[in-house]
Amino acid sequence: MTEEPFDLRLRLLDRQVVDRDGGLICKVDDVEFDRGPDGSWHVVALLSGPQALGPRLPGRLGRWVMAVGRRLSLHPDVAPRRIPFERVTEIGSAVTVDRARDRLDVAVLEDWVREHVIDPIPGSRHESE
Amino acid sequence: MKRVLSVFLGILTAIGGFVDIGDLVANALVGSRFGLSLAWATIIGVAGICVFAEMSGRVAAVTSRGTFDLIRERLGPRVGLLNLAASLLVTLLTFTAEVGGVALALELATSVNYLLFVPVVGLAVWLVIWRVRFSTLENVFGLLGLALIVFGVALWQLNPSWGDLLHQIAVPRKPADESLTTYFYYAIALFGAAMTPYEVFFFSSGGVEEHWKPKDIGTARANVFIGFPMGGLLSLAIAGCAALVLLPAGIQVDTLGQVGLPVAVALGKLALAFAILGFVAATFGAALETGLSTGYATAQYFGWQWGKYVRPRQAARFHALVLLAVIAAVAGVLTTADPIKVTEYSIVFSAVALPLTYFPILVVANDPVYMGRHVNGRLANGLGTVFLVVIVIAAVTAIPLMLITAAGQ
Repeated sequence: MTEEPFDLRLRLLDRQVVDRDGGLICKVDDVEFDRGPDGSWHVVALLSGPQALGPRLPGRLGRWVMAVGRRLSLHPDVAPRRIPFERVTEIGSAVTVDRARDRLDVAVLEDWVREHVIDPIPGSRHESE
Repeated sequence: MKRVLSVFLGILTAIGGFVDIGDLVANALVGSRFGLSLAWATIIGVAGICVFAEMSGRVAAVTSRGTFDLIRERLGPRVGLLNLAASLLVTLLTFTAEVGGVALALELATSVNYLLFVPVVGLAVWLVIWRVRFSTLENVFGLLGLALIVFGVALWQLNPSWGDLLHQIAVPRKPADESLTTYFYYAIALFGAAMTPYEVFFFSSGGVEEHWKPKDIGTARANVFIGFPMGGLLSLAIAGCAALVLLPAGIQVDTLGQVGLPVAVALGKLALAFAILGFVAATFGAALETGLSTGYATAQYFGWQWGKYVRPRQAARFHALVLLAVIAAVAGVLTTADPIKVTEYSIVFSAVALPLTYFPILVVANDPVYMGRHVNGRLANGLGTVFLVVIVIAAVTAIPLMLITAAGQ
């Protein structure tokens, strides 16, 4: 390949992930690598959420972010939220994936807040006027 | 008409930046103590915010990314989080002050103690953020805030020697009875007020709310180059009125009522009513700007869905956070902390947030992969670099000057 090397840190990490309709999903808090049969490394998934962000923050703060994430998590598993790299259709100023937001189980807290805080308030389902 | 209305985002942003409750009083205070000898600080600040708001608006139009997206991308999660913490403190303190400011302006109009208005103001701010369309919000509060033009009319009616005023601006001379450190403390306070970080958060996110596309770069620029200088002129008019009426009378400004005094002297009761309407609108607009900005900055750092362009339930964490900010602000004012003093101390956190906010904007606006043919030209880069140096100097000297002068006493 004669292409310029692709700088993952500059062009992928910490970018906004959006769905095909432009809905905002999450940040690329970290990426997951895997080693192919030929020994080369590939990005296989985008990782997000406190369990992915925490390890990138310094010491105690990082552990605290992960602990808060665990506490707020509804699922017993505490792995980072994962978006398989096959879903990615474009990498530009944002990373576009080919699914609607609600089909990616990435923001448990968003769902909890919607159900318990926002939906009970009158007008939450209306467009602004 | 649509073209005229399309610049109100810039006007509202500028009003929230330059003539919010802290600055209304600070402008009049500076006018009553220093005449127009500090006008240069406001003028430099306006030029600086224009340069960076233009870049952030252009980035938003080309990529739909708000300013805190850029901060997270270019500074990474650690330094980005430091900036988020500092920016949120500035923005929340200012938000608290504005909620108190609206209540103080209503107290001026009704003589009912401001604390009684605070819960109502909090509820009104939240309802507007919850229900009112973004474009309606910017048009209504941008337009009503322009009632402050009455200060310009008052200045003209006071019939000053214009040559003398211009001379004071062009050849600044520190008044003999003020110390040099106090003089520069207020210079930095005025400069910092013009460049507060939440202005670019609000302006760039507002551009995304308005669905700006690359073809709207012209609209973005019109907003910047009409809106911000307009805010700057209002702030100079307030200082000018204070310099003409309050300085000779030896009145030191520390309440909102004293800010309106020159208007009453020059134009009478009806004009004063206009000025109070302007106070209410400007502080309410600033409350919307800072309240929304807490949500914009946090959501953009963590990658949450944000914005009023979707239904509230589609941006649940964003709206929950804004609701928490409103509750915190109301609680903060009800502690009876002086809203005007509160904004003075937020300059400490500004000092950290300013360079960490404007540097990433300059870097991204320069990135051809990101910006394509809308990348920065030489002029924007030259000015951006110069102002970044000024910002760093202001940031480094702000806290020592504040301590030496006991916040300008």
